[in-house]
Amino acid sequence: MTQGIGARIQRKEDARHLHGRGNFVSDMILPGQSEVAFLRSPIAHGRIRRIVKPPGAENQVFIRANLGDVAAIVAPTTVPGYKLSEWHPLAHEKVRFVGEAIAMCVAPTRAEAEDLSEQIEVEFDELPVLVDAQAARMESTVRVHEQWNDNVFLTLNYESGFEAKAKGAPVVIQREIALARQAMVPMEGKAVLARWDDRTEQLLVYASTQVPHIIRIGLAQFLGIDQGQVRVISPDVGGGFGYKCILQPEELCVAWLALKFRQPFRYVEDRREHLVVGANSRQHQYRLTAHADERGRLLALDADITIDGGAYSAWPFTVALEPGQATGNLPGPYDFRGYRCRTHCVATNKPGFLPYRGVARTGVCFALELVIDAIARAVGREPWEVRHDNLVSATDMPYDNVARKHYDSGDYRKALILAREKIDLDAWRERQRRGERDGRLIGIGFASYCEQTAHGTSVFSGWGLPIIPGYDQATVRVTPDGGLEVRAGVHSHGQGMETTLAQIAHEVTGIELANIRVLLGDTGTTPYSTGTYASRSIVMAGGAVANACKVLIPRFLAIGAHLMQAAVATMKYENGQIIGPRKSVSLRDVAEAWYLRPQELPPDVDLGGLEATVGFRPKRDTGAFSYASHAAVVAVDTEVGAVEILDYVIVEDCGTLVNPMVVEGQTLGGAAQGIGTALYEESPFDPNGQPLASTFADYLLPGPTEIPAIRIHHMQTPSPYTEFGIKGMGEGGAIAPPAVIFNAVNDALRSLGVELTETPLTPRRLLEAIDRAKASTQPRMETA
Amino acid sequence: MTPIALSVNGRKIQALVEPRTHLADFLREHCRLTGTHLGCEHGVCGACTVLIDDEPARSCLTYAVQCDGLAVQTIESFDGDPIMQELRTAFSREHGLQCGFCTPGMLIAARDIVRRLPDADARRIRVELSGNLCRCTGYLGIVNAVESVIAARASKPTAVAPMAAAPPRAPLQAFAPTSEVARALA
Amino acid sequence: MKAARFDYLRPGDVGEALAALANAEGAKILAGGQSLGPMLNLRLARPALLVDISRLKALQQLEDAGRAWHIGAGVTHARLEDARGRLSGGEMLCEVAAAIAYRSVRNRGTIGGSLAHADPAADWPLALAALGASVNVRGPTPRNILVAHFVQGAFTTTLAANEIIESIDVPKLSRAGRYGFYKFCRKTGEFAEASAAAVFDPESGVASIFLGALRGIPRPLTSLAQQVAREGKIAASTEAVSQALAQSVSGLDAVEHSMATAVVTRALMQVLAP
Repeated sequence: MTQGIGARIQRKEDARHLHGRGNFVSDMILPGQSEVAFLRSPIAHGRIRRIVKPPGAENQVFIRANLGDVAAIVAPTTVPGYKLSEWHPLAHEKVRFVGEAIAMCVAPTRAEAEDLSEQIEVEFDELPVLVDAQAARMESTVRVHEQWNDNVFLTLNYESGFEAKAKGAPVVIQREIALARQAMVPMEGKAVLARWDDRTEQLLVYASTQVPHIIRIGLAQFLGIDQGQVRVISPDVGGGFGYKCILQPEELCVAWLALKFRQPFRYVEDRREHLVVGANSRQHQYRLTAHADERGRLLALDADITIDGGAYSAWPFTVALEPGQATGNLPGPYDFRGYRCRTHCVATNKPGFLPYRGVARTGVCFALELVIDAIARAVGREPWEVRHDNLVSATDMPYDNVARKHYDSGDYRKALILAREKIDLDAWRERQRRGERDGRLIGIGFASYCEQTAHGTSVFSGWGLPIIPGYDQATVRVTPDGGLEVRAGVHSHGQGMETTLAQIAHEVTGIELANIRVLLGDTGTTPYSTGTYASRSIVMAGGAVANACKVLIPRFLAIGAHLMQAAVATMKYENGQIIGPRKSVSLRDVAEAWYLRPQELPPDVDLGGLEATVGFRPKRDTGAFSYASHAAVVAVDTEVGAVEILDYVIVEDCGTLVNPMVVEGQTLGGAAQGIGTALYEESPFDPNGQPLASTFADYLLPGPTEIPAIRIHHMQTPSPYTEFGIKGMGEGGAIAPPAVIFNAVNDALRSLGVELTETPLTPRRLLEAIDRAKASTQPRMETA
Repeated sequence: MTPIALSVNGRKIQALVEPRTHLADFLREHCRLTGTHLGCEHGVCGACTVLIDDEPARSCLTYAVQCDGLAVQTIESFDGDPIMQELRTAFSREHGLQCGFCTPGMLIAARDIVRRLPDADARRIRVELSGNLCRCTGYLGIVNAVESVIAARASKPTAVAPMAAAPPRAPLQAFAPTSEVARALA
Repeated sequence: MKAARFDYLRPGDVGEALAALANAEGAKILAGGQSLGPMLNLRLARPALLVDISRLKALQQLEDAGRAWHIGAGVTHARLEDARGRLSGGEMLCEVAAAIAYRSVRNRGTIGGSLAHADPAADWPLALAALGASVNVRGPTPRNILVAHFVQGAFTTTLAANEIIESIDVPKLSRAGRYGFYKFCRKTGEFAEASAAAVFDPESGVASIFLGALRGIPRPLTSLAQQVAREGKIAASTEAVSQALAQSVSGLDAVEHSMATAVVTRALMQVLAP
């Protein structure tokens, strides 16, 4: 059985999880450990007048003033006009969203820590609350951050060829489109356990994080201690999706406790906390105006985008990431040369915005794909045809689009054509015409997108973020018995990199997969990487692993040649064997020579031994663009407002597939989240900034009957810039579903004159839209 | 503190617990059986599913004091169980797990389905698994895994015969309803 | 989210349970814990004492009482689900039970607990009201009361703090009887957005339709039920149901009206289907 690139290999990490022997932060208990609970703000905006700790327990309760030497989290960028926010680890003078941590309580058990938190008295002077981004943008007096002259984190303006291309366009389509605020809901919330290690004089911080090296830098920086005094270990992580790619104030608080008191402290986020403080993603509003020709060919696109940025900018990626991505990615996989985009990222009294799987691409895909369908309806053509004509064609690759993004490779049109074939559009159109016996309305929708992955230094440095990704490194080391240890600074939270990175190592070295061990997550033992986010890990860490393995091969040959007393030039390396003209030795023989019998080594042996740490960056790091077309069929029950997905097809291309099974899993999981965004998930706030969905009773997560059996078809167009032509793909599944589902529903309801443009598509919204459409077509009636 | 004595994975455990300690925390913190996970603590996500007296239950909604005298089984205890072995093999083959956090609860729920509903098709499996949320897999690998185990067992001679279909019946005849019910409800 | 402290008592019989309720301030019954557990963990409920009745044998009967099924309040939903095929005249009970929440919840949740909790979107108050079931209450003033009267509003019943539900009597359907139960949930196992239960029995003369989930307590649709009994299918059309709802149920907005019409119509389709 093949074990290298392309192999559908079962995962090494499964064994422990199937037996309940995973090792999550909440599974760890150290001697003398205390548990932490946070008192969180019950109001959305106010000045803290007074905090009274429970008498007798003052030394178990900590407020901002007690953490004097800890700096506020400030996330800068060099983007002009960007405003800094100070996110204090515990609220300082003001609270700016419901759930903001005001105090932390320490006790032997979590239950007792919560008991303590209930005994703290806090008095507030309440301030007016800003819950609507448009209103907050226009607001003249109330300030989320008092040192600002408005409530806008950042405004971006971009223009290229717009006026000329828009001029005289025969078809003009304008739409207002919105996505609701939601949470990411990994099954494991954030969690941190910190202790001081006397032997190494280090803070040992076990954190459920996607980015251990970034957390290490951040903790040291904001605690004001040397980098060398912090070691971050990320064990098993129960999902991240972007929630865990930033420095959490709770991580800072708990690390401070351990540093100050030299004892272990642990905090585990519970579900209510997550749904309240994690209501931080997807909330965009669009006004799009598309200028097209009479065939639906897009000529120019004008966009006004508002992002509800919440109260604070997170470190290190900053809230600027979202508007930047929105502006840059809105043009999507399409060929048009006129573009104008204004993006406002507004501060409101809600949790600060974080980059959720897909980041702004989910929103921009939703907005543009709905407009493409609206254009198609206006010009009387099938949406998929109009889409097809607008997609960048394979012969134009590599293509520099109107937002200056460089699409490296791909056949976007072929993916769409395949999707149309696999969903069997013609059969569904026929069935749609016949009508359903149960009265439901059938609709078919398409959505296409491309996804910038593994973009690196050249892209991020333009933003001036405090941490710019650069060369990911991997360390490979042959063990005395001829096995291989691989260490990289990325970290799996479900992506299976303990398996896929081993597959890449096998591809280069031929060592049996069973003898390759991949170790991730520990800043003390792994080389630096900014971590796992932005669909970068398999490209970056994979490239580094390949590079490091390649460096070892000549060393195997040199030692092997010496063992066989033959010339190196006559040696060949294949599958763990050094093969000479007459005989061969195994890698194990070579390892034993280096480690156990050095007397057998050549006198000029490479002092690097059987271990190498090498970095990698793609030849061009402006991004390896994965892409896909999604197609879906829905049945809409117009009596109760229910949408059932009858079929769902994804034709995706992420370049060379390392493990098709893992790619499918990532695609399916992302698509499930996208379906959640489309139909179920919402974090609404009342006018006082109170979150209205703080438990699973109100926040609906799709289950197995809400997610259909999605069919996936792979295309493989390698990237010219990466090792093996691999592209990242972890986020893609979550990008297109809202677009494809809404396009399908709008197709179903076309005869009723209904067009839906706001997520999630709840039964109430669907029924109200049908009612509104009915009312607008009926003659005015006198009501009694 | 209340004294309790119960069986956990076949071992007799005696402990003093606060009544408010739920079974999941008792298992995780006192017994150090951390395979049972907490995903919501309000009975929706299923990550905490264990067996109590052989039936799946949410350990976050059951207090340890309620389990005095009962037998609890967690994910750590199924090594010799044939259905669990087949499920574990199938989950790995069908890629039914990614981050692993929901997996223990998912396996216990899946085992109950295989054991209780040997005729379940994919649709039924999905309905029965609705009490176990997964954020990573999109459920397809999980459903395929359970389906494959059911199919393999169905081909074995010891499979339970399917329940007989209900006999056909005549449609409802028109009648004059009594006014008693209406009066009672007035 | 860890519960606030409470004391715990497991009484040996119903009398002891009642005494505990009468004597202790802030005492609450714990049956299956599937509704109370989340409230405790979220600290939305803070009883001083939990009185665990889940093992009282006296509350576990599932007996054929001739013209009715006599069900102990402590009978779990799973036990009723698994009784499918063995509850002659009580088939609706098995079907409703099987669709409540999830199996692991059904293994612990009880029919009495569900009634006492009276969540407006729950299935038992609705189904049992339609079946004409009645509750046997134990306490200083033991009484039998129709479920339709027992439930008075969202999370509100006539049960006093020192009373418990002992059992529920559910009139059997004859062989000519038909029932329908339809609920619209956004997600399997979640509480219904709208639900309806219908029971028609020519032999006993029962014609009963109740609308659930919307607006608090299950709402009887008496005149619609009588019309359907007399006229059959034509009285159960979407238009007829829509009109009947507009006349007998107030306070529904357009969306709720549409959902209510659909669930009642679909429950009636089950009744009238061959």
